[in-house]
Amino acid sequence: MGATEMNKEQFQRSIAGNRPVLVEFWAPWCGYCRRLGPAYEKIAQEYGDRLIAAKVNVDEEGQLAEAEGVETIPTLILYRDGKALDTVVNPDSKAAIDRFIQKALTV
Amino acid sequence: MGQSHIYDMIVIGGGPGGYTAALYAARAGLDVLVLEKLSAGGQMALTGEIDNYPGYENGIDGFTLGERMQRQAERFGARTEYAQVERADLVSSPKVLETSEGPYYGKTVVLATGAGHRELGVENEEALTGRGVAYCAACDGMRYKGRTVVVVGGGNSAVADALALSRIARKVILVHRRDTLRASKVYHEPLRKAGNIAFCWNKTVTELLHEQTVTGVRLKDVNTGEETVVACDGVFISVGRKPATELVQGQLELDRSGYIAADETTRTSLPGVYAVGDVRTKLVRQVVTAVADGAAAVHMAEEYLAGGV
Repeated sequence: MGATEMNKEQFQRSIAGNRPVLVEFWAPWCGYCRRLGPAYEKIAQEYGDRLIAAKVNVDEEGQLAEAEGVETIPTLILYRDGKALDTVVNPDSKAAIDRFIQKALTV
Repeated sequence: MGQSHIYDMIVIGGGPGGYTAALYAARAGLDVLVLEKLSAGGQMALTGEIDNYPGYENGIDGFTLGERMQRQAERFGARTEYAQVERADLVSSPKVLETSEGPYYGKTVVLATGAGHRELGVENEEALTGRGVAYCAACDGMRYKGRTVVVVGGGNSAVADALALSRIARKVILVHRRDTLRASKVYHEPLRKAGNIAFCWNKTVTELLHEQTVTGVRLKDVNTGEETVVACDGVFISVGRKPATELVQGQLELDRSGYIAADETTRTSLPGVYAVGDVRTKLVRQVVTAVADGAAAVHMAEEYLAGGV
């Protein structure tokens, strides 16, 4: 399954659940976000059994992005039990996202 | 396909040079794999609009062009793996590429790792890229029509950027950390004649001033330490390029500027290893010259695989 676009309510329900949630904060005008797209979809497929991969459009969910402390995009945040475990800004390879997830989930 | 499989050709990097090599290889019946760390397109994936790639009379955005090149190569059987190459043994037979997704083996390797701009190294530089910070006057200059821009650097490309921008922008301010230009003499007269280019000698940029986009730069005099603020709408950083050659250092001959030494045959100092696009020694680094290299590399690789050179 690919990454799911979420609004504020879906996001809040999702991170309160019992699976870790990876969220990409992005916007349609952001070139770096677009470049991340194919690798992020691949991540969503590969980790589909372990976590939920989501996307939040900061243009539509500005309040949420601000509340989550997102200042630059793309920002990836991994949540578990309703809390943010770790954040990475503009990872430059799929391998960097892999490392980020593995490190955050083993803590 | 198991990873012990030996490909005819492995291409490192999915920019225009890499995917053109993959396209030509696949069409020639070679078994070819592209290793790309993030997404197709390379440097052009971040270029908003490409107006000098023939065939797209209304321009095309770089990301889309990259995806199309990928799909075109894949249509003929090329494969893509999202993998970061960590080590390369280009001497052994087959050649071995250790990646984040495990090892891959190839009879030939095409290095299409590209080059990047050298960064200035000031705070918020990356965050403001595309929001007033730019690295390519030919790409982003048009946005600053009638406005004021700062160009940082003193070499040929900085001066060429300043001249190109002087024809678009209202005012260009060239900031250089020395008191003379490193750029060749042929540029000096046109710079004076332009009429709207001002010079800030012996200054370095210490801060990018911004709101949503860049509003100015803070400069520091390298001799006196005195600080000044210059208001501007954009900053073009032209302090050099750096080819992505970390992977092959010590294995391949590089030229004096650090690019992989290879002529238009794309052959490197190692048999069966080719360098295409911006990472190779060349005069003009453009999408069109990168794709040309891709075709040349496959031609040479076919000869090599057939037992020739």
